[in-house]
Amino acid sequence: MCAQSKTIPGQSLFKWVFLLILFSFMMTGCTDGPDTSDSTSDEPKKPRIALVMKSLANEFFSTMAEGARTHQAAHADQYELLVDGIKDERDVSRQVQLIEEMMVQQVDAIVIAPADSKSLVTACRRAQEQGIVVINIDNKLDAEVLTQQKISIPFVGPDNKAGAKEVGDYLAGKLAEGDEVALLEGIPTAYNAQQRKAGFMESIEAAGLNLVSSQSAQWEMDRANQVAGDIMTQQPGLKAFFCSNDSMALGTLAAVRSADKLGQVQIVGFDNINAVQEAIKAGNILATADQHGDQLAVFGIEYALEILESGGTPDDKETPVDLVTQESLAASQAAE
Amino acid sequence: MKSSSESSRWSGLIDYFGLLGVIALMMLFFGTQTENFWTLPNLFKTANQIPEFTLLAIGMTFVLIIGGIDLSVGSVFALSGVVTGVAAVQWNWPISLAMTLGVFVGGCCGFLNGFVSERWRIPSFIVTLGMLEIARGAELMIANSQTQYIGGAVEKLGMPIPGLGITPAFLIAILFVVIAQVILSKTVFGRYLFAIGNNEEAVRLSGINARPLKITVFVIAGLMAGFAGLFQVWRMGSADPAVGVGHELTAIAAAVVGGTSLTGGRGSVVKSFLGVLIIAILASGLVQMRTSFHFQRIVTGVVIVLAVILDAYRQKVTWVEFRDSFLKRKPAAR
Repeated sequence: MCAQSKTIPGQSLFKWVFLLILFSFMMTGCTDGPDTSDSTSDEPKKPRIALVMKSLANEFFSTMAEGARTHQAAHADQYELLVDGIKDERDVSRQVQLIEEMMVQQVDAIVIAPADSKSLVTACRRAQEQGIVVINIDNKLDAEVLTQQKISIPFVGPDNKAGAKEVGDYLAGKLAEGDEVALLEGIPTAYNAQQRKAGFMESIEAAGLNLVSSQSAQWEMDRANQVAGDIMTQQPGLKAFFCSNDSMALGTLAAVRSADKLGQVQIVGFDNINAVQEAIKAGNILATADQHGDQLAVFGIEYALEILESGGTPDDKETPVDLVTQESLAASQAAE
Repeated sequence: MKSSSESSRWSGLIDYFGLLGVIALMMLFFGTQTENFWTLPNLFKTANQIPEFTLLAIGMTFVLIIGGIDLSVGSVFALSGVVTGVAAVQWNWPISLAMTLGVFVGGCCGFLNGFVSERWRIPSFIVTLGMLEIARGAELMIANSQTQYIGGAVEKLGMPIPGLGITPAFLIAILFVVIAQVILSKTVFGRYLFAIGNNEEAVRLSGINARPLKITVFVIAGLMAGFAGLFQVWRMGSADPAVGVGHELTAIAAAVVGGTSLTGGRGSVVKSFLGVLIIAILASGLVQMRTSFHFQRIVTGVVIVLAVILDAYRQKVTWVEFRDSFLKRKPAAR
């Protein structure tokens, strides 16, 4: 700490750290090299599929990527997999960069979960023009923009609206006509957020429930906690929350618990993350929807392989969404 | 700065009245615009939601006073929570040990921030920007991006105390505010921090080694983020690796609204706490008025800028000059 010894050792350590970093870069460069040359020297050339994800910080997407890696490991002879994602769910420009990187690497197919339904279309079109098969998963690209750009990109994924409707109907079955309910939306610009809202709205209207508030909590647990608390302040007679994802359902649960209204206010979510399964078993959250997140990317990859083989122009493909409740969890546990 | 201690004491009091006045005005406004705003449950609810931000603002105030900034608190906050969650759920540690580890990790991040920036004389802005990424990455790696459901004892800690309506976290946060304020205004250590923020060179020339003091400040900020992460886990009963993005900016905003100077040398923990209250009441009231999320962000931004403008005036000009600046008169000579 003393002032005399401040420069010399500091500089030398700095140099060492710098050399170490340089060395580690060289090492990663080395390990990268043989990998790619390996793939080109293989006798029958394996197709290379790029999986471009949204935020890998999100449990849902990391599970999805994990499922894809597991699938690739089991089918290592059939294809190669490159997985990359962005750090922020809304970082559209980074995702465009990733597509461009994949184009430079000349992959055979790109399976993409677009961060934005509209602004990713152009990048996807360029990839397609380069002869790359593009498959859209998770968040559907905007149909209008696709027709404008005169391209078609197949969507492989669940019907979020139908899934939300199913969850909503289950909740509505536990309520009486005219009961006050609130809806926590995802990020309003996201297609799946819009679809889930539409699904919930259908069940609310069908059951004649009284929607007293519908606000965005940006997919976030913390934000949902605050918003749910405020909605309960405004509507002391509130009977239920429809949450557009499970993180928000957890945040809402904490708000309901600290308002001492467990059992009085019902909660449903969407996504079926592990933490919510615990809450469902405990009876604190009523239901959620399982869109088989670990399989979503796999469905896309399998479809890409199919198209690479057949070379046809493909249609959209729907994947299953299942209702998860205390009973269904107990049943699946008993089955195991 | 040249004002005598008596007049600075007065201007300090005026600050408190100003901040409390803003809170009162907001309460009045939201109370008339929405139902149930003036109810005890709503007050308790708002109080129980702010312990995390209170602690982050305490740490940030210390760092800002010495002329630094800590951009990593949001990530460190999430890291502490996740470490606690993973230790409790996956490693089956006793919950008390897991919580201690969480706070310890927060302190370690703070120490690294302080040590690296002091040892190699790198602005804390850059070092903590690095830590923002490191802690976030480490946290996601440890948790494998999965929300850790802890439940049990932790959930009970997050519940309001029966018959009192507020949570233990809120009481602890208030206790921390008091302790931090005493440290800042009544101890030699606190006095040195202000001196460092005002003129670090002068402090050094007067024979005081500023480095360990500054490192300690970053450790305090890290520990506060660690405790805040713990409080979040208490409140939610689970540790979500996605939390805390942008919390550093809210903490800075609270401190700035409370009159803490971004260039160092000036700040008060109690006023930062009032800043937290202002931002929390604003957020809560706007939700209850059912304004859109985007509008809420605009209003919050406007309030922050207004607070800084007012503060800049209060610092640089007297009331007469302030008034004259609006009347387009030539400012009176000082």
